[in-house]
Amino acid sequence: MTGNRTRHDLGRQDEIRRAEVTTTRVARTRQGVFGDMVPARRTAPPRILIGASGAVAAVLLAPLVFLLIEARGAGTGTIAHLIWRPLTASLLWNTVRLTVVVTALCAIIGTLAAWCVERTDLPGRRVWAVLVVIPFAIPDFVVSFGWASLATWVQGFRGAVLVMTLAVYPLVYLPVAASLRGADPGQEETARSLGLGRARTFVRVTLAQARGAILGGCVLVALVLLAEYGAFEILGYQTFTTEIFTEFQVSFNVPTACALSLVLVALSVVVLGGDTAARGRGRLARTGPLAQRMTRRHRLGRATLPVLAGFVALTGLALGVPLGASVYWIFEGGAHAISGVSLVYAGWHTALYGGVAAALATLLSLPVALLAVRRGGRGGRLLERSTYLVLAMPGLVIALALSYFAERYAGGFGYQSAPLLIVAYAILFFPLALVGVRASVAHAPVGLEEAARSLGQGRLAVLGRVTLPLVGPGLAAAFCLVFLAAVTELTATLILVPTGVQTLATQFWAYQQNLSYGQAAPFALVIILVAAAPGYVISRYFDRLPARATRPL
Amino acid sequence: MTTAPAGLAATGLHKAFGRQPVLTGLDLNVPAGTLTAVLGPSGSGKTTLLRILAGFERPERGSVTIGDVIVDDKRRHVPAERRRVGYVSQEGSLFPHLTVEANVGFGVRRRQRHGPRVGDLLDAVGLTGLARRYPHQLSGGQQQRVALARALAVGPRIVLLDEPFASLDASLRAQVRADVHAILRQAETTAVVITHDQDEALSIANLVAVIRGGKIAQLAPPQDLYFRPADPDLACFVGEANLIDGVADGGLACTPFGVLAVHSALPAVPSAPVTLLVRPEQVEVRPGAEGPGVPGRVLSSGFYGHDAVIRVAPDPSCLPSPIIARVPGHLRVLPGSAIRIGVRGPVIAWPRHRPADTTTHRTDSVAAASVTAPQRGSHR
Repeated sequence: MTGNRTRHDLGRQDEIRRAEVTTTRVARTRQGVFGDMVPARRTAPPRILIGASGAVAAVLLAPLVFLLIEARGAGTGTIAHLIWRPLTASLLWNTVRLTVVVTALCAIIGTLAAWCVERTDLPGRRVWAVLVVIPFAIPDFVVSFGWASLATWVQGFRGAVLVMTLAVYPLVYLPVAASLRGADPGQEETARSLGLGRARTFVRVTLAQARGAILGGCVLVALVLLAEYGAFEILGYQTFTTEIFTEFQVSFNVPTACALSLVLVALSVVVLGGDTAARGRGRLARTGPLAQRMTRRHRLGRATLPVLAGFVALTGLALGVPLGASVYWIFEGGAHAISGVSLVYAGWHTALYGGVAAALATLLSLPVALLAVRRGGRGGRLLERSTYLVLAMPGLVIALALSYFAERYAGGFGYQSAPLLIVAYAILFFPLALVGVRASVAHAPVGLEEAARSLGQGRLAVLGRVTLPLVGPGLAAAFCLVFLAAVTELTATLILVPTGVQTLATQFWAYQQNLSYGQAAPFALVIILVAAAPGYVISRYFDRLPARATRPL
Repeated sequence: MTTAPAGLAATGLHKAFGRQPVLTGLDLNVPAGTLTAVLGPSGSGKTTLLRILAGFERPERGSVTIGDVIVDDKRRHVPAERRRVGYVSQEGSLFPHLTVEANVGFGVRRRQRHGPRVGDLLDAVGLTGLARRYPHQLSGGQQQRVALARALAVGPRIVLLDEPFASLDASLRAQVRADVHAILRQAETTAVVITHDQDEALSIANLVAVIRGGKIAQLAPPQDLYFRPADPDLACFVGEANLIDGVADGGLACTPFGVLAVHSALPAVPSAPVTLLVRPEQVEVRPGAEGPGVPGRVLSSGFYGHDAVIRVAPDPSCLPSPIIARVPGHLRVLPGSAIRIGVRGPVIAWPRHRPADTTTHRTDSVAAASVTAPQRGSHR
């Protein structure tokens, strides 16, 4: 970030200098003789870094390879036959229409909410900023349970749209809010001074500034929808994921599960590719000096009350209903429902698996982030990009590929064991860890390490006194992000959880399947509580990011 | 500051990034205790040179000697932390998680970290009251001074500064530049400052090295560099220059401005064609059309308070290309007015080997430049 600032400043000064001297004869001669530009300095990355990143990429892509091996084993003809069925078409229709509708709704709700909180004089902004994000920590299947257990009409397509929109809109809200906070408010003022009205300024400047963030959020929403199992199972809405789960776990029909998985992965790849294509080449970075002025917030005026009502409704539906339903069922279920021992037991295993997986994912992402941030280079970028493919693999597919492989080729070794579950988590949530670690590595520019070395410090001392203190908070945020995700994960856990062990999510699921709502509800509440703590840490960290980034250093 | 300053010698440095050569056999000799400025435009390899000297980068060929120890050649590479070379980067690179005090004491042995040493240094750089602040609470100039104090705290034999003033505002730059100069002088250390700003190089350094094409084109004290540049290109690079053609005979040269004294060594060939350097402040401007000197018209003028820089189109029968002159600020010369110009000698001259080549190029660029200038009235 520091580098950016200086480069900006230098660029500007060069420009000014050039403007000053072009009129003189001397400058022209000077440029002709001296002005040949040289590409930026770039040293070759150390082999150990490339090796480590390569190994990480290999681990991450293993499930995809297993899936392809599986498909080959079943025979291309069989797979093609399994895919060309009316069932696939109906699943495709269900999945795609839900994805499109929910993604669009999330984009609208998330963007509007973010704009109101960040750019208007909405009363109680700070409280809303927290309340609006909390649904992020509530697993989709808990939201789904909350609604379905209270209202019978919440099911099928309508139910799925309602529940999923309320559960995942924070994925759009969070990046858009961050980007609006970091964007240059001066651009809006410039647009107004160029004669654009309020509405056109909003569309052409504000939305354009947040375009990347909105798109990024929409991609995450779409990927979550493609991967979701628990919520749709409760609502009785059939998608690829629910069908694959049934084929694999209930019917033990591996070839069918495998064929459908291929289609699902292909859909996710389309989503990811569409994102890259739609982003375009425009740069949204601010170009001026980075000192951020306070924005004059837009006045809501007469719209204040309706907007407030909207926020009350949104938090009521997204937060109040799932929480309320859980509390309601605890009281309704009676005293016998709460079994403290099994809660603690399941909670312990959840924390254990989540913690180890978070540490592993953070560790794995470190070399990739270092390579990508520090060394640029075509090889580094390619490696980093290849790890994005993980995003296209739903948890169910990863779990399926790993368990199938363990059973088939490792002689059952490791199948339904804790290490396999942890590895699955680490692969599944690697992209989350990478986000945090990348940001933190960018906080420790090479220049600082060089400064420390020129002051007589050896490599180890530099690591301990400079690099780790700077990178630490970001690593912690990455850890929390993965931990939160692992605690609220259900699909892969159901398949890979060690025999005889229950996590919070699987125990909740078991009770919920038996319609023992009173017994399931405490587990839902504990999941929310366990997920909320790291969620708070993360939001603090990422809130501070823009401020830190603009620090002149 | 307890260590005696060391000299520095780089010999035959080669370095390329990819296929692009950056340094091509660069030699540089910095005597102990001097402040040497390395001057060159962006992309000329200045920073690469400094990073090689500091030990962050290895040259493909060549050697670096600090004091009497070879720190870099084909076989040896003394790592940065054992060179005792202070390095101040463009942006200062202060550790954002440490206070000013902790930053300055970073390289000092643990026991001395809170001792008088750090305090003295903060006094020396004029930041006495700011020991507990964090880097982001400081202005750009203060950050640079902390970075300098931090580098000096370990008692380096040489301090390297990479464009230390580039990220500062113009108004702040002069002040910080003077401060840093004073601090370096007080510390009596050898210093190498990199800059693309010629005023900076000329005003603070004992020696200026101009880097061009991956080599040092000239290493000389500022006055020598300005008044006796090694070749016409250097003359144009350092300061503003008028290059005019003439014919030399012994210590004199025949020019459109008459016969001028030449104070550079020239080949003892009679009637040798030469290129002469006339600095703008050597050009005399007299208002009015009548009298001695080359007649001309003012094309444009830029007023700077203490002086003004004017561009003059001389009578084309005397001189083909415009002349830049620096005149006292109180002299009112309006664009379009008729004047006469002369030259105060002595000047320096170089033999003109390829008369068509370099001179034409320059004339073209001047012609292109003069299109933008308001040109009122014709010469005939």
